[in-house]
Formats: sequence, structure tokens, C-alpha cells
Amino acid sequence: MEGIKEEAIHHTALKLAEEIKNLSIYKSFYSDVQKLVSSPNVKKEDFKQTLQQAMKEKGLDTKLRNTVFHWVRTQSKQNKLDPLTSLLKASAQWEKRIHKSLNSMCTDLETSLAKIRSQSEQEELSDKWNELSTYTLGNYKTDLSFVSRIRPPQVTKSRRFISDLSKYRPVYAPKDFLEVLITLSGYVPFTREDEPKWEFAHLPIQVKTLDQLRKVFPEWAHGEPLLGVNPNMPSSVPGFATLEAERISLGERVAALGYAPVVQEYLKKGSPQCLRAKLWSQVLGSDVKSQQTAYFGQLKKNVLEVDLMIDKLIFKDVQLTASNDDQYFVFEDLLYQVMLCFSRDVDVMQQLKGSIGNPPTVTIKGKQTSAESMTVFPPSGIIPFHGFTMYATPFCYLYDDPVQLYYTFRAFYVRYWHRLHYISTHSQGIVSLCLLYERLLEANEPLLWIHFRNININPIRVVFKWLMRAFSGHLPPDQLLLLWDAILGYDCLEILPLLALAILSFRKENIFQVNTLQNVDAVLADLSTISVIPLLQLALMKP
Amino acid sequence: MTQEVKKISPAVYGKVTPPVMEKGRVTYCTDLEKSVIMSNFERRGWTQVGPDDEWNFYWSFTQNCRTIFSMESGYRMSDNQMINHFPNHYELSRKDLLVKNIKRYRKELEREGNPLAEKTEVPLPNGQVLTRYIHLDFIPVTYVLPADYNMFVEEYRKSPQSTWIMKPCGKSQGAGIFLINKLSKLKKWSREAKTPFHPQLTSKESYVISRYIDNPLLIGGKKFDLRLYVLVTSFRPLKAYLFQHGFCRFCTVKYDTSVTELDNMYVHLTNVSVQKHGGDYNSLHGGKMSIQNFRLYLEGTRGRSVTDRLFAEMQWLIVHSLKAVAPVMANDRHCFECYGYDIIIDNTLKPWLVEVNASPSLQSTTHNDRILKYKLIDNIVSVVVPPDGIPDARWNKTPTAEALGDFELLIDEELIEKEDANSRYNKYHRLRQ
Repeated sequence: MEGIKEEAIHHTALKLAEEIKNLSIYKSFYSDVQKLVSSPNVKKEDFKQTLQQAMKEKGLDTKLRNTVFHWVRTQSKQNKLDPLTSLLKASAQWEKRIHKSLNSMCTDLETSLAKIRSQSEQEELSDKWNELSTYTLGNYKTDLSFVSRIRPPQVTKSRRFISDLSKYRPVYAPKDFLEVLITLSGYVPFTREDEPKWEFAHLPIQVKTLDQLRKVFPEWAHGEPLLGVNPNMPSSVPGFATLEAERISLGERVAALGYAPVVQEYLKKGSPQCLRAKLWSQVLGSDVKSQQTAYFGQLKKNVLEVDLMIDKLIFKDVQLTASNDDQYFVFEDLLYQVMLCFSRDVDVMQQLKGSIGNPPTVTIKGKQTSAESMTVFPPSGIIPFHGFTMYATPFCYLYDDPVQLYYTFRAFYVRYWHRLHYISTHSQGIVSLCLLYERLLEANEPLLWIHFRNININPIRVVFKWLMRAFSGHLPPDQLLLLWDAILGYDCLEILPLLALAILSFRKENIFQVNTLQNVDAVLADLSTISVIPLLQLALMKP
Repeated sequence: MTQEVKKISPAVYGKVTPPVMEKGRVTYCTDLEKSVIMSNFERRGWTQVGPDDEWNFYWSFTQNCRTIFSMESGYRMSDNQMINHFPNHYELSRKDLLVKNIKRYRKELEREGNPLAEKTEVPLPNGQVLTRYIHLDFIPVTYVLPADYNMFVEEYRKSPQSTWIMKPCGKSQGAGIFLINKLSKLKKWSREAKTPFHPQLTSKESYVISRYIDNPLLIGGKKFDLRLYVLVTSFRPLKAYLFQHGFCRFCTVKYDTSVTELDNMYVHLTNVSVQKHGGDYNSLHGGKMSIQNFRLYLEGTRGRSVTDRLFAEMQWLIVHSLKAVAPVMANDRHCFECYGYDIIIDNTLKPWLVEVNASPSLQSTTHNDRILKYKLIDNIVSVVVPPDGIPDARWNKTPTAEALGDFELLIDEELIEKEDANSRYNKYHRLRQ
């Protein structure tokens, strides 16, 4: 018995070693180990022991462990093919619709999906890389106000060229996506007049009950003290005045250790804001080294050289969301950089292969015909929808540097956010989350459920945009960051429908008073007073 | 206010039995017909009257307040009247007087040998040495022109590279402000100012000239300043409260110190009244970010301890600017005042007091602004009015924790005094035991 187990471990180790050889960190890691081997700390007589010790001291041990952790997380991808053919079909149709819409937008606006930027345009874009909010997209002109330096204070510096951008419309909005999801169930049998036709419940997907969720979030369900409940909550550990002080002290040790699984465990009870930037990048393995900085530079170069039609959509989206938001407008210029580079990132598509459909390949106009004149459109494979930027905005409260912001955002997207706008049967996918919300509402707030039925409103309609954007743009940033701590800590998105339920439950008396979709939306419009953690903990603790 | 119904009140306030208001008959008067004020007072069930009627609570313009307190008016306020300004608020809100008072305050502390007035020498790259206060160096070096012209020139020569900012003493909202980086420019200005074409610019119109903070902290590449609201209910003893919902006001244009941008006020001035005219002004957020989010950002990107220190230093700065004017203020017990503090933070995270406004704008530029200002007025009234809801100048001005609302206590010298007395008493008794 022992022997079999030993052998299995041996096989896993061999497989892991092979896999690690294919990772991008392998080269530098290997050379680090070689350097270590030649150091006096490692003795030939006791090679294994001394090398292990030296690796521990140099932090290579933690690095190796974290590498395995991150690798394992990327492997746990479920089913290669979605078992539900109806979903598969719907997903393909939806993708086709998006591509068609992009193409017809191009035709209408007499532009192409991809073309080479002119030299002058490249230069201007490069000059204004740090203030893209003043860049006149795709319309390189000499701005007269730049020529005259002296001007009366009523006249401002060059303004963005809005009229061009105004012709562009977001490809789709959460509302459009919801329409697609609602028709998914394919359930068209003997519905009686009084039976709603919209429930996700018709889909044969398993979701958890509230009791099962309590087992997923045991710390919350048991009422353990969490950050974000009350800043002055006393600590149960001697020597600390407040829970916050205790968490900061523990968090500093966790961050110094840098071992990803420990960081993940720590995040379950919430991170203090001052440590969040570090802890998030540790748990996601998104720390920035020279290799990452260089890669980001490559992405930027591609943005400067190739004009993708999607750039306009990105500009439009930042303008429609962050630029008009008092919480994020300051970070506008940072967001342009990050979102533009994201669209060029082939790694994103590589890592999400199989979960995001098949992006088209198009010719780059103005480039000599060769292998390089073709590009996947866009290289990341991700076509942004209205509000897509909101997946990145909260990171502005953690990172000043666009490169650091970029990699943590990207890691978050690859691990979680793409599931919120692609159709799949994955337990963390948007379809399952909608179904979970529906079931939770029916089981735990039956009166609300009946009320929605009576006023003939599909309850998913009033919360869908929250789910699809992971509450970004809806909750104030401090609350949002606490919520995302939990997503990282428990490595799941089920907290989103749970929060949606908790908010509805919290405001139900007001919902009972109204009977139109518009008025329900009004009751739920302002979430600025919501305290996320207490509300969630209450929902999980109840009986 | 009606005096007809007089009840015997418990003698909490003193020897004289005061007339007590008839319940529910509080009257108010306002010079500013803004809904944020009126709706607040109406919600409390107060009725509006004119300035010549019997009012209990007057939200006045500074000018009208000064008139009421002037000798000539002969107006005598009764115990049940309160007004929202101190008669000589300008000691704090006029740029030249603020500087004068702070300079005097430092000198006095220095004379007493108070450790607060400790100084240090700062060597400049060009070999010159500047002397600075360690704890009280919270306003940029400032001189009043034309009076202190010679002193200014002396200081200017020490670091001729620096930029200076000229502000007319009596104006607000960024009017008449310009930057100077050459002495010749100032000379030219003073020559022009003396010409007969600008008679208004002569003796009466004095200016302050301050070292320009040319290394401001930038967020997203943009410059901003902080607007904090401070409520003072008494200067002697000093009682002051800080409103928790201040905000950052951002310039719409990227910060740029190049000489060519020296005249572009959209780069340098954060005043909403200036920025509003810029092409990039966004009326949805008005270039304003809440102080809570500012703190969140700083803590996230710079860490906890530097953030805590910055906020502590801002409180320190406010308290000492108030202490500096306290001795010269007409501490009338009918008065309270809400000041708008404008603070700039430099890239070493040091806060600098730029200006204090005695009538901070109650204009709401955005939805959030309206909520903030409504709450501000509401909280001010609940702090300054006694628990029974009737304005009373004889009240000891010690609001309950609930009445503070979103104000936090900055300083209450009366409470400090009491605590000191208590601890002295306790010490004495402990020793005796």
C-alpha cells in the first residue's frame, strides 16, 4: 500500500518536473539553482540536504511551491467540451452575432478591423501615451491651440476629437447578453398561462443550496471576526487593540513569507487596504519582473503600430464608464493604457483556450503580405462589452504603476472575470451564477419570489448587471475590494449571487412597495450605503 | 421668537432664569436662498422670517454679520439667537491676516521657549541655508505686498529658481491669481499697478506672495487640493470639529511645470470656479473625489503609516491655525462658523495650508455634492444647537456623541482642561492613599 502511494507521488513529481520545464519562469529558475549549487553553502557530500536548505534560505523553495500552486490552479479546467449542446450552440451563435456586428460597424463607418498606423500617428500616440484622454483617436491633425502658447484662460488645450468616437457604439451591453441567456434554457414545453417562462431552473445544471454554501464559507458561517464589519472591532488576540491592527500584523508576516496558499487562506477574512496590492499579486502570481515589464512594452508597441477597430471601442468604454465616475475619473489615463495593451495580449487567449470561443483572423491593412500581416482579432480574443473597463478600475486603488496594475488585472480576468461574460456550464460561469441566484431567492426569500412573479418581473433582471460586472461600478471601491478579497480567498464567484440575494433581502420591504421594473431598479440603484461583509455574513450565519 | 410664554426653567445655565422658547417656534433667517439651507431648516420645523424680524438662527453673509455686530447698528442679540459667523472671521480668512497671525503665534511660542516653536536649518542645493520651524511649518513662505517687499526680495534671492504665486488678499475663487518666476515680472506688475489706469490696485489692494508648491502630489498625473470643513463653536476655549466628508478637487489638465504652462491656470488652480470653464470639465463628477477614496488610494499605494501621518498632520495644521487666531478673535457666544480649509499636499506627503474660507460655497455641482452639503448643514445645526433644539448662546457647547453626526472632535480645550484637572485630582488622591 505504502509502496503504491510512494510510486504515485513519484509519478506526479516527474510529471510536474516536465511541466515546469515548459513554463516561462523555468530558465531563470534553473540558472538560479545552478548558481546556488556552485555556492559554498551546498556541500557535495550532503548534496540533497544542503541544497534544500540553501533553496529555502534564498526563497527559491517558496518560488517553486508557488509555481506548482499556480500551475495546478490552471490545470483544474473542467470538461473540454461543454456537455450541454444547447449551450454550446447558443454560445457559438452569440459569438457569430458579435463578429457580425463588428463587421457591419466597420462597413458602416468605412474603416477596417485592423490597419497599420501612419508614422505621424504612431508618433503622436507615443507622445501622448501618458495622457491618452487628450489624444485625438485616429484623426491625426495639427491642433492649433498647441501652436499658440499664449492664450486667454477661457480657451483650453487640445480637446479630444469626440465626433469621430461618437459614431461607435459598444458591441453589446449586459442587457443584450441577458436576453441571450434567458432564451438558453430551450425549455418550450407545456407551460401553463400562469407559469413563468423565464426561469433558469429549466437548465440541468447543479448549483449549491445556502446550506452547501455555508460549508464553502465556514469562517463566515461560524461568525468568525472579519475585516470590513466595524473598524473598531476589538481583537481577541492579546496585544492588539483592534481586529484591524491584529490583521495588519499577521498580514505583514504572511506577505513576507510570500507563500501563495497561505496568502489565499489569509484573504478569506479580508485584507487591510495597505497590504492588498502585495497579497493579491502574490496569490495570483502576478508580480512584475523585468520579463513582464518587457512584455508589457511589446504590447504597447503593438498598440502604437497597429490600429485595431477595437481601440475605439476601448476608448469609448473608458469614456462611458470610468471618465464619468467620481470614483475613477482620476485614473482615466492609466485605464486607457491598460485596456489597450490587454487587447493585444496573446497570452490571454492562450490561457483561455477553449473557454472563449474562436476569434477571427483578419488581415492588417497596409502591411506587406506575409505571416505577420495576419492577426487574430483582437489578439487577446476578448471583445469588450459596455462596462468591460470596470473589471480593471478597482485596481487603480492598489497600483500606481500601469505594469503592476496590468498583470494583477489580467490574472484576475483569466482566473475569474471571463466566466462572467462567456456562456458555459462551468460552476463559476455566469449561467450557473444566475441559476444559483434564482434558486437562492426562491428558497430563502419566497415572498420576494412570489412578489416578482406577481408583478411579472424576472428577478434576474434587477441584479444581472451586478453579477456580470462583479459589482464593480456599483459598490464603492472600499466595499468592492473587500468583496474581491473573498473571491480570491475562497477562489470562487458564488459570493456574487449570494450578495445579490442579501441586498434584495435587505431592501425587500421597499421592493414590496413597488411593482414596475423601473421602480425596483430605483430601489436598488444606490448601493453606496451597503456594507458588504456584514450583509454577507448575516446571510451565511442565519440559523 | 416669542417672549409671551415664559416658563421657569431649571437653573442649569446660571443664576438668571432665562426666558424659554415656546416649543416649535424657532425662527430662521437666511441671506442665501439655497435649498440646501432652507430644506434643512424647514425639516426641523423652523419658520423663515426676515432679517429685521425676530430670528433665532441667522445664516448670514459675512458682511451682514459684521453690520449686526458693528457699533452703529446698535443691535443687541438675545440669548436665543445664533449667527453663522464671528464678527472678525477675516483674521483667519483673509490671506494676509492669516499669515500675520500665524507668524505672530510662532514668535510668541518662541519667546515662551515652547518646544512647538523649535527650528531647524535646511541647507539648499545652492549653499544657502534656510531656517524653518519643525512643527509649525505648514504655510508656504509668504509675504504681504507691497508692505513686505524688501523681505520678499531677500528671500527670493536665496532660491531664485523657485516660482511664486501672487494672490489678491481680498478676493476668492481664484480671481486675480498669477504665477511669477522672475523678479522682473513682479517689478513690471508693480509699475503697472501704480498707474492711474488701475487706481483700485494701489494702497488698498494688497497682495500676498507665497512660495509656489511646485512639487504637488499628483494622482493620475493631475494636481488637486483638498477641501475640508471645520466647524468652530468657540475660540476661547477653542472648540473645533472636522467634517469627515471633505473632497479632492482636481485640475482637468495634466500637471506641467514648464514655463510655457505658467500662465495656464487650468494646470495650476484647482478651484471649481476656475476649472468649470475648462473644456474638460465633467459635470457628473465635477472633478471631485471623496476624501475617503483619496485615503483608500493612498493607503493602497503608499501604505498605512504614511497615510495616517498625513491625516494627523492635517489635523495638526488646522488646530494650530485656529490657535494662532484665537487670541484676536471676538469670541462672541452667539457665533459659530464653518470654515472651508484648502490644503495642498506635496509629493513628500506634507500638507500645506493654502487658504481658509469663511463662506465655503454651498453651491452643489454634482449629485454627491448636494448630499454632502445637505449633511454638512444638518450636522452643523445639530452641533451648535443645544439638545432641546432651541438656539441658546448660554449653552456650554458640549454636544453629545450622537449630535456630532459626521463631525469628529478636533479639539475642545474645555474638555482637555477638565480631564487635566481630573487626572491631577486622581494623582493627588492616589499619592495620599
